[in-house]
Amino acid sequence: MDRRKPWQTVLLYLFVFVVCIVILYPYIVMFSTAAKTDAEMYSANPTIFPIEWQWSNFIDAWKAAPVFKYFLNSIIVAGGATLVAILCGIPAAYAMARMRFKGKGFFLGAVIMSQMFSPVVLLVGIYNVMTTMHLTNSLLGLVLLNAAFNQAFAIWLLRGTFLSISSEMEQAAKIDGCGTVQALLRVLLPVSAPGIVTALIFVFINAWNEYTIALSLISDDLLKPITVGINVFYGYNFIQWQYLFATSLFATIPVIILFLCIEKHLVAGLTAGGVKG
Amino acid sequence: MSQKQKQPSTREMKQRLKRAEPYVWMLPSILLMCAMIVVPIITVFRLSMSEISRANRVKGFNGLENFKDVIASPTFWNTLRNTLIWTVAVVGFSTLIGFVLAMVLNQNFRGRKVVRALVIFPWATSLIIQAVIWKYIINADYGALNVLLSKLGLIDHFVNWTATAGAFFAWECWVGIFVTVPFVTFCVLSGLQSIDTTYYEAAAVDGASFWRKLFNITLPLVRPSLTVSTVLNIIYVFNSFPIIWTISKGDPADKTHTLVTYLYKLSFTLGKSGQAAAVSVIGFIILAVCAGIYMMISLRGEEAD
Amino acid sequence: MKKSLALLLALAMVLALAACSNTTTPSGGGSATPAPQTAAPQGGGEKVTLNVIISQYGNYTQDWWPTFEKDFEDTYSNIDLNVEIVSWNDLYTVVSTRISTNQAPDILNIDTFADYVADDLLVPAEEYTSAELKAKLIPSFWTANELDGTVWALPILASCRALFCNMDLLNEAGITAPPKTWDEVDAACKAVLDTFNGSIVPWGLDISGDEGQAAFAYYTWNNGGGFVDADGNWALNSAENVEAMNYIKSLIDNGYCNANPYTDTRYPLQDAFNAGSQAMMIGACNMMSADSEVNYVVADLPTQTGTPVAMGVCDRLMVFDSSVTASKNADEAARLDAVSKFFDFFYDTNRYSEYMVYEGFLPVTTDSSELLAKSADQFSVGGTGAPGDNEYFANFSSILLSCDFYPSSRAEWIDVKQGVIDAEQRICQGEDAQTVLDALQAQIAG
Repeated sequence: MDRRKPWQTVLLYLFVFVVCIVILYPYIVMFSTAAKTDAEMYSANPTIFPIEWQWSNFIDAWKAAPVFKYFLNSIIVAGGATLVAILCGIPAAYAMARMRFKGKGFFLGAVIMSQMFSPVVLLVGIYNVMTTMHLTNSLLGLVLLNAAFNQAFAIWLLRGTFLSISSEMEQAAKIDGCGTVQALLRVLLPVSAPGIVTALIFVFINAWNEYTIALSLISDDLLKPITVGINVFYGYNFIQWQYLFATSLFATIPVIILFLCIEKHLVAGLTAGGVKG
Repeated sequence: MSQKQKQPSTREMKQRLKRAEPYVWMLPSILLMCAMIVVPIITVFRLSMSEISRANRVKGFNGLENFKDVIASPTFWNTLRNTLIWTVAVVGFSTLIGFVLAMVLNQNFRGRKVVRALVIFPWATSLIIQAVIWKYIINADYGALNVLLSKLGLIDHFVNWTATAGAFFAWECWVGIFVTVPFVTFCVLSGLQSIDTTYYEAAAVDGASFWRKLFNITLPLVRPSLTVSTVLNIIYVFNSFPIIWTISKGDPADKTHTLVTYLYKLSFTLGKSGQAAAVSVIGFIILAVCAGIYMMISLRGEEAD
Repeated sequence: MKKSLALLLALAMVLALAACSNTTTPSGGGSATPAPQTAAPQGGGEKVTLNVIISQYGNYTQDWWPTFEKDFEDTYSNIDLNVEIVSWNDLYTVVSTRISTNQAPDILNIDTFADYVADDLLVPAEEYTSAELKAKLIPSFWTANELDGTVWALPILASCRALFCNMDLLNEAGITAPPKTWDEVDAACKAVLDTFNGSIVPWGLDISGDEGQAAFAYYTWNNGGGFVDADGNWALNSAENVEAMNYIKSLIDNGYCNANPYTDTRYPLQDAFNAGSQAMMIGACNMMSADSEVNYVVADLPTQTGTPVAMGVCDRLMVFDSSVTASKNADEAARLDAVSKFFDFFYDTNRYSEYMVYEGFLPVTTDSSELLAKSADQFSVGGTGAPGDNEYFANFSSILLSCDFYPSSRAEWIDVKQGVIDAEQRICQGEDAQTVLDALQAQIAG
């Protein structure tokens, strides 16, 4: 790369600084509000940071609702959905990347089409299906739904990854006596790791953030994921901003940690998937 | 594509198996999507042509009646316009900002890792939470933004940030952009990192300007990444529900709806589920037409490869 | 790193082969998690299942009902009671989705019932209300749930609305008494605005989708207008109503109210009033929180006619027909018997009084009204655990009897409610009040 002039460096840092402030601002607000007292929230002399940091809000939020249980449910749903989506997505993407068959174009189109309805739109239909399958009020139902609604992205990304990898190695493995399954497992998958990791993350985040389906399917308080669970603090009758924000921070942290762990793979995976997207 | 292995014995059988094989590979995926998505889609199409009572009970087939009612409502047309603005503004600005941000993050500078980690934040936070926090920030009477600006001495009276429906909608677009930028940034960044630096070195030798490098090297090479992010974003943003529903619920006077929030209100507040189903079918058709065009272009491109 | 990743993926793939066959076939998935909602009783015991949806009235609603559920099941071992608390945010979505898929609860707590009656989904109240219960319900609340000569629901609780004034703020602005007319409201608002240089919101206004119809009622009723005329016909476009709408608009235009009445529900307004940053608002009798330090008085709604009209609100409990419920009880008589037991248990003088104090709402039975007027302090308020306030229940329960209520048992009510909210918002956004209300009237009555 070419060397930067001093004014460019200044500009660069200024830009980065502004971006950081803008991104962090809502989180700072969330954090400082979570530690305010009720009176200070609506005070006639509002403050940026609380005069008196009420740390107990963070603990009280956990007591006011089964936040830990919500948390666990979210992990089960997001984790389960990710697993199912990837496990169904890998063979499908493999077939679409490596095999020739009738209706491939149609299937690819159908996969994209399936994403064109948001779950909100399909709510009544989804509820019908889940009732017939006795999956209302069950985490398994949420796992399957989230997996299904993220299939398209998983397949698309994985197919792109597979296409970007030459099939020569698999051919060689097959000549050595491997079956198709073994060739996929031993040769293709290890090389596609970045793409798979990316798909994992995408599905995980989407499932972690899903709200509408869980809202209408889950009626048992102890089965609610955190996105729905925090509604306890955001009812129509009242808003407990402090608890809401405290819990929201808790809900955000694991996803951010996950992201940080995986960031390197994420970029690499998108590179592979993107090329042939 | 691939050289198929030939083995002796009962060729016919093998051939048939071979032909069925791809479908077997796709079976789990197909089953999952059929049960969870296709069946509900069929239900929605059926509901869109049904008379549905206010208590949400299906009363029978009524042809295109729901569609006629929807089209006759001025709110629908306003909503359609909003949806278009919303999708174009959010996807457009996010792509632009995301692209610039990715270019910057691709530079070498101190603290790059930290900034990259920060950029992830909005993506990793649930949309509901983002919408709630921004609703709180822009509140005119006790919101954080007014407090901050007045403490900094930039304003002496609290500003009503959402005095008009248009202002409301603009803020909603901003929140949409805020949460969409990270995805674009990472898509573009991945594209940028796969570009061979020798291209730039050669260009530098030729004394090419920044803009020439941008248009002749960078843009063409990150185009695939940009395409992925744009197509996905169009679908996601078009169908986005939590931001607008949390911040304004389509109010004042139904002027800030997009199709998804409008059909939600039709169905669950106004008790007009038939019309709601019709709106979702219309939304589907709009997206499907766009997707059809995209597929034709991209599949043709792939065959040419 | 690469090796471990590969290993992980291989492991995942092994799981895949096991999981794919299991999880993706629809029929295989059902058994993994119990679905208590749809569990039908089988075999000899004939346990009756009752699913109940209770709307969330406060921060602590979800803490009171589990005890109720347990006590009830201890008393009636053959009844399986499932109480689900649903926030008002989600109530309509949840109920509507369930009804469309025949998964309705047996007993529902919501505000209106006319739509369900229109589809024959409800059981008439006479079929499950015991003679004792009927005798102790305040008669006007019983008849309020009548549609076409049949009573379809029971009142669960009530509240009434009044004008709340922060007297410290008003005094500082030179106002000594709560405003009685709109002119006085304007004068008080202007004084507050000038005195505090804009840092205090003078007047709380909510014309949001949450409860915009309440604002319509507050201002039209106290201007001689309202939803219906003297003969009970819809009269949404009366001159009085037009005037009232224009008055609401003037509150916004003059900067007398909160900046965003279109989306501010009354709850943040209540919080602001409780924190002392808002001078006046019309609110529900139970809007003051126990720890508020505001020095306030409760007054009549400001009126233009000389006689202030107070507003009461009453929510309902209704019973769904077994053809649409999720519980799938085989024996309808046994189900209705269980429903009847549920109500008798709930409206038990002590238990019901305890719940009213817990949530801060007003009772709709005569026995509890009498009890609470004398000794509400034997029960405690939800969350804080403070004793109930005898005076509060004595005062408001008597005001409640003189209140006007929404015409919410009418079939058109939901359309009217949404229509007036929409009309208010349009008018405040600058559309002509007469034109907007004429159009609404034509749509409802025409």
